[in-house]
Amino acid sequence: MVQINFARKEVNCKIVFYGPGMSGKTTNLEKIFENAPDGHKGDLTSIATEGDRTLFFDFLPLDLGTVAGMNTKFQLYTVPGQVYYNSTRKLVLQGADGVIFVADSQRKKMEENMESLENLEDNLKEYNLKIDEIPLVLQWNKRDMPDALPVEELEAKLNRWGAPTFPAVAITGEGVFPTLKALSSMVLENLNKEYGVSSSAAESPAKPKPEPKPPVQKPAQPSSQPQQAVKQQTTPERPAPPQPQPQKSPTVAQPQPQKAPVTTPAKPQPAIKPQPERAPLKTPQTPARPKSPIRTPIQPPTKGSKAAAGPATKTNPLIYVIILVLALVIGAVILVVLNPGGSQ
Amino acid sequence: MSEASKKLREKRLIFYSEDIEKLDKYLNEFLKLSQAKCALLIDKEGHMVTQIGEVRDLDLDTISALVAGSFAATKEMARILGEVEFADLFHQGQKQSIQLLLIGDRTLLTVIFDKTTTVGMVRLYATEVAKKLDKLFDKASERKPRESETISKDFTASAKSRLDDLFGS
Repeated sequence: MVQINFARKEVNCKIVFYGPGMSGKTTNLEKIFENAPDGHKGDLTSIATEGDRTLFFDFLPLDLGTVAGMNTKFQLYTVPGQVYYNSTRKLVLQGADGVIFVADSQRKKMEENMESLENLEDNLKEYNLKIDEIPLVLQWNKRDMPDALPVEELEAKLNRWGAPTFPAVAITGEGVFPTLKALSSMVLENLNKEYGVSSSAAESPAKPKPEPKPPVQKPAQPSSQPQQAVKQQTTPERPAPPQPQPQKSPTVAQPQPQKAPVTTPAKPQPAIKPQPERAPLKTPQTPARPKSPIRTPIQPPTKGSKAAAGPATKTNPLIYVIILVLALVIGAVILVVLNPGGSQ
Repeated sequence: MSEASKKLREKRLIFYSEDIEKLDKYLNEFLKLSQAKCALLIDKEGHMVTQIGEVRDLDLDTISALVAGSFAATKEMARILGEVEFADLFHQGQKQSIQLLLIGDRTLLTVIFDKTTTVGMVRLYATEVAKKLDKLFDKASERKPRESETISKDFTASAKSRLDDLFGS
């Protein structure tokens, strides 16, 4: 759900990249990270298996900057595409404000696309959301593959809702930003419409009119040079272009260019295409912070701990009196023992 | 308005300055008592609500997303075991640790602390402040929109223009 925080002057929206396994969701995020302007992006974090498959999610915060007095942020997530990970996929979908469905254009992947779309619909239902009501954009990825289906066929089979669609070759960056821009626009429009109703409900009962779907099809956008790597990947085959400039998110204090990733093991290059310009990111061997293995879930306060001492202080006065009396008695006994003739 | 939109709006979290000031006050008191380094309030979607204490160069956006993800995963584990959720989570590190506590239905109190205090101390005071925060969230959810704090009508137009600047028109 969108969070509006007037104290921090922030609007936070959650966008989820959904789709079958290996359709290019993580690649979309990597391209956005590489090409988004400095100062508008945070670290790209990935919770992935060693085999380059998303295990839980990839995460990239994008900062739109101050819009009408509010610092507007998008948090981009990908879900794990593999069927096996449905439970985690569902968790990532929770609270999504918009969904980009990344379909694989290859003929042999059509069935997986359809299954994934059905799965999206089912998982949205579990959060009481309907696929035709939430902002949704479809991306026809891998248009460069030899057996890519015609766009018309993809539209007919997959786009039952008349959602905006975009052809893309995510590995080169083509179509990535137009897709994101279209969905971001829909999410913001939805937000303004809904918030407008909410804020003026007391004064005007006027309801918002249904929002028309934004236009589709934008020309592909060529990718620019990669700027900086962040992800924790150990891909020796991928050259790492040296990065002179540390990129920073304006709202979050971010670190030096060589900062280690928050998460995950090595993630080698996806099987789609080799991508020489892609930057290997942070290496897990040099984490900025020590990993924190969860050893003991709970460490109860020990006798000497402050936690234990806290509540005990309420009964202290009585204890002190007893201790004082005991000390006096013991002192008197010692005096008598050490100086038996003193009284004579 | 569609049924889904209604539900969406009901669940949306809007925080006004007055609420955040009170939250910050409670969290400041909590930090003094527990001697923890930093306290964050994060909603279940991974958006940070407020933050008090020393954060240095922590990437709060990422921490928030990971905390929410971690909590969501353990909630699913709890469900499989027949529990509603594990309301209390603890991640122990060699130098720093994190204590998570669910506040109400959808907000997570995240406490980062080091060796200057103990998990028992943090947990004791976190449980106490959680009750206060829970009441505050209840009140905040019933609060009517404030005239002085609204989103400008031209928000969408400005945002779209900004999207053009960033991603090309």
